[in-house]
Amino acid sequence: MLRLAAVMAAALVFAAPAAASCAHPRASMNFLQGQVMCPTCHTTLAMSDAPAAQRIRVFIAKKIDACWTTQQIEAALVANYGQGILAAPSHKGFDLLAWWLPILGVLAGAIVLAFGVWRWSRRKEPGEPDKPDEPADSGLDEETERRLDDLLARFD
Amino acid sequence: MTARLKTGGQVIALACIAGLLALLVWSVVHQQKAPSVGSMAPAFTLQRLEGPGKVSLASYRGKPVVLNFWASWCDPCKSEAAVLERDWTTYRGRGVVFLGVDYHDVNSDGRRFVSAHALTFPMLEDGSGSVTSRYGISQVPETYVLNRQGRVVAHLRGPITDPGFATDFQNAIAKAAA
Repeated sequence: MLRLAAVMAAALVFAAPAAASCAHPRASMNFLQGQVMCPTCHTTLAMSDAPAAQRIRVFIAKKIDACWTTQQIEAALVANYGQGILAAPSHKGFDLLAWWLPILGVLAGAIVLAFGVWRWSRRKEPGEPDKPDEPADSGLDEETERRLDDLLARFD
Repeated sequence: MTARLKTGGQVIALACIAGLLALLVWSVVHQQKAPSVGSMAPAFTLQRLEGPGKVSLASYRGKPVVLNFWASWCDPCKSEAAVLERDWTTYRGRGVVFLGVDYHDVNSDGRRFVSAHALTFPMLEDGSGSVTSRYGISQVPETYVLNRQGRVVAHLRGPITDPGFATDFQNAIAKAAA
């Protein structure tokens, strides 16, 4: 009985730190493996089994156990390896271009496409008559046109 | 109006293609290559691994330099470490400088490695790999031997403990120190 109590007490002592909860949700190893690059193979950690990637995984696991946030872990990795360790560019300075250029490219493409469709929809087929609701341009000035209308009105 | 728009579109498309081609040419031209034997070793200044302060390669001009690139996650580096330390203690009296560059490594791991292998020559850290890439390092360990003028005497791609390299390494140091 005494032995059992001792084992349980020991288990509690050793299990307590592992089970200790963080003040915030724990960072996710899976998420970070998609956000961090393997520096020697230039793929994400998730896709690499290189020794350097394995060391970084161990580093991340230790920091997760120590309740570091995702941002803290990423900052520590950037301090150690430089900005290139992150798979995605930061949202600051020159790196912003990497985020905005694709959006601008898609917008520019959409505008060009819309313009093309608009022009195509207005194009006349060869031999197609003018639309009836659009009065044909007679090439006469207003005064002449008015007088012509008056003359024609006499024959009505 | 339409013709002008068409021309403008064509000009923009051509400019985009020219830009992409320029980018391709630039990346091909600027690919990092290992400095060849006889050429000047790329200059660098790196942070010390085990303490504050920086070390510049230029500060060792006039002395033969053995530049060893390693990482704590590299298994061959472990077997090489003891030999490097032994050679360092042998050659330091003759004015040869040994410099270790820990690359793509967690700094704390690098420091543990240095401590575990009782390495006493100066260690620098290149976590980002910016200096290492200028030396065309594709795998660690790799070792350069530089002469007093800072020119490359030898580049050993692999551990100096490799049977083929042991003699080359000693010969290179002798040549660099001559």
